[in-house]
Amino acid sequence: MRDDPTVVGLVTRARDGDKDAWDELVERYAPLVWSVCRRYRLAQADVDDVGQSVWLRLIEHLPGLREPAALPGWIATTTQRECFRLLRATSRVEPVDPAESHDVAVHAIAEEEVLRHERRTILRAAFAELSRQCQKLLALLAQDPPTPYDEISRQLSLPIGSIGPNRARCLNRLRRAPALALLVAGGPDEELRR
Amino acid sequence: MPDIGWSDDELLDALRDALTTADDVPRNFVDAGKAAFAWRTIDAELAALTYDSAWDALEPVTVRSESAMLRSLTFASEGWTIEIELTPDAVLGQLDPAEAGTVRARGDGGEFGTAAIDDLGFFALRPVPTAPYRLICTTTSGTTILTGWITP
Repeated sequence: MRDDPTVVGLVTRARDGDKDAWDELVERYAPLVWSVCRRYRLAQADVDDVGQSVWLRLIEHLPGLREPAALPGWIATTTQRECFRLLRATSRVEPVDPAESHDVAVHAIAEEEVLRHERRTILRAAFAELSRQCQKLLALLAQDPPTPYDEISRQLSLPIGSIGPNRARCLNRLRRAPALALLVAGGPDEELRR
Repeated sequence: MPDIGWSDDELLDALRDALTTADDVPRNFVDAGKAAFAWRTIDAELAALTYDSAWDALEPVTVRSESAMLRSLTFASEGWTIEIELTPDAVLGQLDPAEAGTVRARGDGGEFGTAAIDDLGFFALRPVPTAPYRLICTTTSGTTILTGWITP
Protein backbone atom coordinates (compact mmCIF):
# COMPACT_ATOMS: atom_id res chain seq x y z
CA MET A 1 0.00 0.00 0.00
CA ARG A 2 2.70 2.42 1.02
CA ASP A 3 4.38 2.28 -2.37
CA ASP A 4 1.14 1.91 -4.30
CA PRO A 5 2.05 2.91 -7.88
CA THR A 6 -1.56 3.99 -8.47
CA VAL A 7 -1.24 6.72 -5.85
CA VAL A 8 2.05 7.90 -7.35
CA GLY A 9 0.34 8.19 -10.74
CA LEU A 10 -2.68 9.99 -9.31
CA VAL A 11 -0.52 12.52 -7.49
CA THR A 12 1.51 13.24 -10.61
CA ARG A 13 -1.58 13.68 -12.77
CA ALA A 14 -3.41 15.83 -10.20
CA ARG A 15 -0.32 18.01 -9.91
CA ASP A 16 -0.51 18.59 -13.66
CA GLY A 17 -4.13 19.68 -13.37
CA ASP A 18 -5.99 16.42 -14.09
CA LYS A 19 -9.36 16.78 -12.37
CA ASP A 20 -10.21 13.05 -12.67
CA ALA A 21 -7.02 12.13 -10.82
CA TRP A 22 -7.89 14.63 -8.10
CA ASP A 23 -11.40 13.18 -7.78
CA GLU A 24 -9.89 9.72 -7.36
CA LEU A 25 -7.52 10.96 -4.64
CA VAL A 26 -10.45 12.53 -2.79
CA GLU A 27 -12.48 9.30 -3.09
CA ARG A 28 -9.57 7.38 -1.63
CA TYR A 29 -8.68 9.66 1.23
CA ALA A 30 -11.97 11.31 2.24
CA PRO A 31 -12.66 8.35 4.60
CA LEU A 32 -9.29 8.98 6.27
CA VAL A 33 -10.01 12.70 6.79
CA TRP A 34 -13.46 11.74 8.04
CA SER A 35 -12.26 9.16 10.53
CA VAL A 36 -9.60 11.46 12.02
CA CYS A 37 -12.28 14.16 12.49
CA ARG A 38 -14.48 11.60 14.19
CA ARG A 39 -11.74 11.00 16.76
CA TYR A 40 -12.16 14.65 17.78
CA ARG A 41 -15.97 14.40 17.89
CA LEU A 42 -16.44 17.41 15.65
CA ALA A 43 -19.91 18.54 14.55
CA GLN A 44 -20.82 18.05 10.90
CA ALA A 45 -20.31 21.73 9.97
CA ASP A 46 -16.87 21.69 11.61
CA VAL A 47 -15.89 18.49 9.79
CA ASP A 48 -16.83 20.23 6.52
CA ASP A 49 -14.59 23.19 7.43
CA VAL A 50 -11.69 20.94 8.34
CA GLY A 51 -12.17 18.96 5.12
CA GLN A 52 -11.98 22.09 2.98
CA SER A 53 -8.80 23.27 4.72
CA VAL A 54 -7.18 19.86 4.29
CA TRP A 55 -8.01 19.62 0.57
CA LEU A 56 -6.77 23.14 -0.14
CA ARG A 57 -3.57 22.49 1.76
CA LEU A 58 -3.17 19.26 -0.18
CA ILE A 59 -3.54 21.10 -3.50
CA GLU A 60 -0.87 23.50 -2.29
CA HIS A 61 1.28 20.60 -1.12
CA LEU A 62 1.07 18.46 -4.30
CA PRO A 63 3.93 20.12 -6.21
CA GLY A 64 6.28 19.68 -3.25
CA LEU A 65 5.26 16.11 -2.48
CA ARG A 66 8.46 14.15 -3.06
CA GLU A 67 7.21 10.80 -1.82
CA PRO A 68 3.60 10.10 -2.71
CA ALA A 69 3.86 7.05 -0.44
CA ALA A 70 3.92 9.43 2.52
CA LEU A 71 0.59 10.93 1.43
CA PRO A 72 -1.75 9.11 3.87
CA GLY A 73 0.44 10.14 6.81
CA TRP A 74 0.54 13.73 5.61
CA ILE A 75 -3.26 13.82 5.20
CA ALA A 76 -3.90 12.35 8.66
CA THR A 77 -1.47 14.74 10.38
CA THR A 78 -2.82 17.77 8.52
CA THR A 79 -6.39 16.80 9.39
CA GLN A 80 -5.42 16.43 13.02
CA ARG A 81 -3.80 19.87 13.01
CA GLU A 82 -6.91 21.47 11.46
CA CYS A 83 -9.16 19.75 14.03
CA PHE A 84 -6.94 21.09 16.77
CA ARG A 85 -7.04 24.60 15.32
CA LEU A 86 -10.82 24.57 15.24
CA LEU A 87 -11.19 23.16 18.75
CA ARG A 88 -8.80 25.73 20.14
CA ALA A 89 -10.63 28.55 18.33
CA THR A 90 -14.00 27.52 19.67
CA SER A 91 -12.50 26.99 23.16
CA ARG A 92 -14.83 24.10 23.65
CA VAL A 93 -11.95 22.09 25.04
CA GLU A 94 -8.28 22.78 25.72
CA PRO A 95 -6.66 20.31 23.37
CA VAL A 96 -2.96 19.56 23.17
CA ASP A 97 -1.31 20.80 19.97
CA PRO A 98 -0.21 17.62 18.17
CA ALA A 99 2.89 19.40 16.90
CA GLU A 100 4.00 20.40 20.41
CA SER A 101 2.90 17.33 22.27
CA HIS A 102 5.27 14.71 23.59
CA ASP A 103 2.27 12.57 24.37
CA VAL A 104 2.52 9.31 22.45
CA ALA A 105 -1.27 8.96 22.43
CA VAL A 106 -1.71 12.20 20.47
CA HIS A 107 0.83 11.15 17.84
CA ALA A 108 -0.69 7.69 17.74
CA ILE A 109 -4.09 8.96 16.54
CA ALA A 110 -2.84 9.92 13.07
CA GLU A 111 -0.75 6.78 12.78
CA GLU A 112 -3.59 4.52 13.89
CA GLU A 113 -6.04 6.05 11.45
CA VAL A 114 -3.54 5.69 8.60
CA LEU A 115 -3.15 1.98 9.38
CA ARG A 116 -6.91 1.49 9.66
CA HIS A 117 -7.43 3.30 6.38
CA GLU A 118 -4.84 1.09 4.66
CA ARG A 119 -6.41 -2.04 6.06
CA ARG A 120 -9.90 -1.01 4.95
CA THR A 121 -8.67 -0.08 1.47
CA ILE A 122 -6.93 -3.44 1.06
CA LEU A 123 -9.99 -5.33 2.29
CA ARG A 124 -12.31 -3.48 -0.05
CA ALA A 125 -9.96 -4.10 -2.99
CA ALA A 126 -9.77 -7.82 -2.17
CA PHE A 127 -13.56 -7.94 -1.72
CA ALA A 128 -14.07 -6.33 -5.14
CA GLU A 129 -12.13 -9.20 -6.76
CA LEU A 130 -14.44 -11.89 -5.39
CA SER A 131 -17.19 -13.48 -7.47
CA ARG A 132 -20.59 -11.75 -7.44
CA GLN A 133 -22.03 -14.64 -5.45
CA CYS A 134 -19.32 -14.39 -2.75
CA GLN A 135 -19.70 -10.60 -2.61
CA LYS A 136 -23.45 -10.87 -2.07
CA LEU A 137 -23.10 -13.54 0.61
CA LEU A 138 -20.32 -11.78 2.55
CA ALA A 139 -22.08 -8.42 2.31
CA LEU A 140 -25.18 -9.94 3.91
CA LEU A 141 -23.12 -11.69 6.59
CA ALA A 142 -21.13 -8.51 7.27
CA GLN A 143 -24.24 -6.52 8.09
CA ASP A 144 -24.69 -5.43 11.67
CA PRO A 145 -26.53 -7.37 13.00
CA PRO A 146 -25.76 -10.19 10.52
CA THR A 147 -28.59 -11.17 8.19
CA PRO A 148 -30.25 -14.39 9.45
CA TYR A 149 -29.52 -17.55 7.44
CA ASP A 150 -33.16 -18.05 6.39
CA GLU A 151 -33.21 -14.52 4.96
CA ILE A 152 -29.91 -15.13 3.11
CA SER A 153 -31.28 -18.42 1.84
CA ARG A 154 -34.33 -16.61 0.43
CA GLN A 155 -32.38 -13.71 -1.12
CA LEU A 156 -29.61 -15.77 -2.73
CA SER A 157 -31.66 -18.92 -3.46
CA LEU A 158 -29.19 -20.99 -1.47
CA PRO A 159 -30.14 -23.97 0.73
CA ILE A 160 -29.63 -23.02 4.39
CA GLY A 161 -27.28 -25.97 4.85
CA SER A 162 -24.87 -24.66 2.20
CA ILE A 163 -24.52 -21.15 3.66
CA GLY A 164 -21.95 -22.23 6.28
CA PRO A 165 -19.65 -24.00 3.78
CA ASN A 166 -20.04 -21.13 1.28
CA ARG A 167 -19.18 -18.62 4.00
CA ALA A 168 -15.96 -20.53 4.74
CA ARG A 169 -15.12 -20.86 1.05
CA CYS A 170 -15.69 -17.17 0.28
CA LEU A 171 -13.72 -16.01 3.32
CA ASN A 172 -10.89 -18.29 2.26
CA ARG A 173 -10.85 -16.70 -1.19
CA LEU A 174 -10.79 -13.29 0.45
CA ARG A 175 -7.94 -14.37 2.69
CA ARG A 176 -5.92 -15.58 -0.31
CA ALA A 177 -6.23 -12.34 -2.26
CA PRO A 178 -2.62 -11.22 -2.85
CA ALA A 179 -3.22 -7.77 -1.36
CA LEU A 180 -4.47 -9.30 1.83
CA ALA A 181 -1.64 -11.79 2.31
CA LEU A 182 0.56 -9.34 4.21
CA LEU A 183 -2.22 -8.21 6.51
CA VAL A 184 -3.35 -11.74 7.29
CA ALA A 185 0.17 -12.93 8.07
CA GLY A 186 0.31 -10.29 10.77
CA GLY A 187 -2.99 -11.33 12.28
CA PRO A 188 -5.60 -8.94 13.62
CA ASP A 189 -3.95 -6.11 15.50
CA GLU A 190 -5.79 -5.58 18.77
CA GLU A 191 -4.69 -1.94 18.79
CA LEU A 192 -6.61 -1.40 15.61
CA ARG A 193 -9.90 -2.88 16.68
CA ARG A 194 -12.66 -0.59 17.79
CA MET B 1 -1.87 -21.78 2.89
CA PRO B 2 -0.83 -22.19 6.53
CA ASP B 3 -3.67 -21.81 8.98
CA ILE B 4 -2.38 -18.73 10.77
CA GLY B 5 -3.56 -15.13 10.96
CA TRP B 6 -7.21 -14.21 11.06
CA SER B 7 -9.98 -16.62 11.90
CA ASP B 8 -13.15 -16.51 9.78
CA ASP B 9 -14.92 -14.42 12.41
CA GLU B 10 -12.04 -11.95 12.67
CA LEU B 11 -11.84 -11.62 8.92
CA LEU B 12 -15.59 -11.02 8.68
CA ASP B 13 -15.37 -8.38 11.44
CA ALA B 14 -12.59 -6.61 9.56
CA LEU B 15 -14.62 -6.76 6.35
CA ARG B 16 -17.67 -5.34 8.13
CA ASP B 17 -15.53 -2.44 9.39
CA ALA B 18 -14.10 -1.83 5.90
CA LEU B 19 -17.47 -1.90 4.14
CA THR B 20 -19.40 0.22 6.66
CA THR B 21 -16.74 2.93 7.09
CA ALA B 22 -16.85 3.74 3.39
CA ASP B 23 -20.65 4.06 3.59
CA ASP B 24 -20.44 6.33 6.64
CA VAL B 25 -18.72 9.16 4.78
CA PRO B 26 -21.43 11.52 3.47
CA ARG B 27 -21.45 12.01 -0.30
CA ASN B 28 -21.54 15.80 0.02
CA PHE B 29 -18.31 15.68 2.07
CA VAL B 30 -16.59 13.81 -0.77
CA ASP B 31 -18.12 16.06 -3.44
CA ALA B 32 -16.99 19.22 -1.62
CA GLY B 33 -13.47 17.77 -1.58
CA LYS B 34 -13.59 17.21 -5.33
CA ALA B 35 -14.89 20.75 -5.91
CA ALA B 36 -11.95 22.19 -3.95
CA PHE B 37 -9.78 21.50 -7.01
CA ALA B 38 -11.28 24.58 -8.70
CA TRP B 39 -9.33 26.70 -6.20
CA ARG B 40 -5.94 25.31 -7.16
CA THR B 41 -5.14 28.15 -9.55
CA ILE B 42 -5.30 30.65 -6.70
CA ASP B 43 -1.88 30.89 -5.15
CA ALA B 44 -2.90 32.15 -1.73
CA GLU B 45 -2.28 31.90 1.96
CA LEU B 46 -5.14 30.09 3.62
CA ALA B 47 -6.89 31.92 6.43
CA ALA B 48 -8.86 29.46 8.54
CA LEU B 49 -11.90 30.31 10.61
CA THR B 50 -10.89 31.07 14.21
CA TYR B 51 -14.05 32.78 15.47
CA ASP B 52 -17.73 32.79 14.52
CA SER B 53 -20.28 34.68 16.60
CA ALA B 54 -22.71 31.90 15.71
CA TRP B 55 -20.69 29.69 18.10
CA ASP B 56 -21.67 31.97 21.01
CA ALA B 57 -25.31 31.60 20.12
CA LEU B 58 -24.96 27.89 20.82
CA GLU B 59 -23.97 28.60 24.41
CA PRO B 60 -27.10 28.76 26.56
CA VAL B 61 -25.54 31.12 29.12
CA THR B 62 -24.70 33.88 26.62
CA VAL B 63 -26.50 37.14 27.24
CA ARG B 64 -27.72 38.42 23.88
CA SER B 65 -26.73 42.02 23.24
CA GLU B 66 -27.70 44.31 20.34
CA SER B 67 -24.39 43.73 18.59
CA ALA B 68 -25.00 39.99 18.68
CA MET B 69 -27.60 40.56 15.98
CA LEU B 70 -24.83 40.95 13.38
CA ARG B 71 -22.76 37.92 12.62
CA SER B 72 -19.03 38.38 12.90
CA LEU B 73 -16.27 36.03 11.80
CA THR B 74 -12.51 35.97 12.14
CA PHE B 75 -10.13 34.22 9.76
CA ALA B 76 -6.43 33.92 10.46
CA SER B 77 -3.35 32.70 8.57
CA GLU B 78 0.24 32.73 9.83
CA GLY B 79 0.69 36.44 9.22
CA TRP B 80 -2.79 37.89 8.65
CA THR B 81 -6.10 38.27 10.41
CA ILE B 82 -9.34 39.20 8.63
CA GLU B 83 -12.30 40.25 10.72
CA ILE B 84 -15.64 40.15 8.95
CA GLU B 85 -19.00 41.56 9.91
CA LEU B 86 -22.03 40.50 7.91
CA THR B 87 -24.57 43.30 7.74
CA PRO B 88 -27.81 43.08 5.71
CA ASP B 89 -26.40 45.14 2.83
CA ALA B 90 -22.63 44.66 2.94
CA VAL B 91 -19.76 42.42 3.99
CA LEU B 92 -17.56 44.65 6.16
CA GLY B 93 -13.97 43.60 6.66
CA GLN B 94 -10.79 44.61 8.39
CA LEU B 95 -7.40 43.32 7.35
CA ASP B 96 -4.71 43.18 10.02
CA PRO B 97 -1.94 44.28 9.60
CA ALA B 98 -3.59 47.10 7.65
CA GLU B 99 -2.74 47.25 3.98
CA ALA B 100 -4.52 48.50 0.86
CA GLY B 101 -5.58 46.18 -1.95
CA THR B 102 -8.65 44.54 -3.42
CA VAL B 103 -11.06 41.92 -2.16
CA ARG B 104 -13.12 39.51 -4.24
CA ALA B 105 -15.94 37.20 -3.17
CA ARG B 106 -15.95 33.91 -5.06
CA GLY B 107 -18.12 30.80 -4.87
CA ASP B 108 -18.20 27.55 -6.80
CA GLY B 109 -20.37 29.24 -9.42
CA GLY B 110 -18.05 32.19 -10.04
CA GLU B 111 -17.36 35.66 -8.67
CA PHE B 112 -19.94 37.66 -6.73
CA GLY B 113 -18.25 41.02 -6.58
CA THR B 114 -15.15 42.97 -5.80
CA ALA B 115 -14.26 45.98 -3.62
CA ALA B 116 -11.25 48.08 -2.72
CA ILE B 117 -9.42 47.65 0.58
CA ASP B 118 -8.39 51.12 1.84
CA ASP B 119 -5.08 52.16 3.42
CA LEU B 120 -6.43 51.30 6.86
CA GLY B 121 -7.20 47.75 5.74
CA PHE B 122 -10.96 48.30 5.71
CA PHE B 123 -13.40 47.17 3.01
CA ALA B 124 -17.13 47.08 2.35
CA LEU B 125 -18.26 44.58 -0.26
CA ARG B 126 -21.74 45.04 -1.75
CA PRO B 127 -24.12 43.39 -2.29
CA VAL B 128 -23.86 40.49 0.16
CA PRO B 129 -23.42 37.25 -1.85
CA THR B 130 -26.47 35.01 -1.70
CA ALA B 131 -24.64 31.67 -1.97
CA PRO B 132 -21.62 30.29 -0.05
CA TYR B 133 -18.41 32.15 -0.91
CA ARG B 134 -14.80 32.73 0.08
CA LEU B 135 -13.03 36.09 0.20
CA ILE B 136 -9.79 36.56 -1.72
CA CYS B 137 -7.79 39.57 -0.50
CA THR B 138 -4.90 40.72 -2.65
CA THR B 139 -2.70 43.37 -1.05
CA THR B 140 -0.66 45.96 -2.94
CA SER B 141 2.54 44.31 -1.72
CA GLY B 142 1.47 41.15 -3.55
CA THR B 143 0.13 38.85 -0.83
CA THR B 144 -3.04 36.88 -1.59
CA ILE B 145 -5.11 35.56 1.30
CA LEU B 146 -8.01 33.13 0.85
CA THR B 147 -10.56 32.76 3.66
CA GLY B 148 -12.56 29.65 4.53
CA TRP B 149 -16.15 29.31 3.32
CA ILE B 150 -18.72 31.86 4.46
CA THR B 151 -22.33 30.72 4.33
CA PRO B 152 -24.82 33.60 4.19
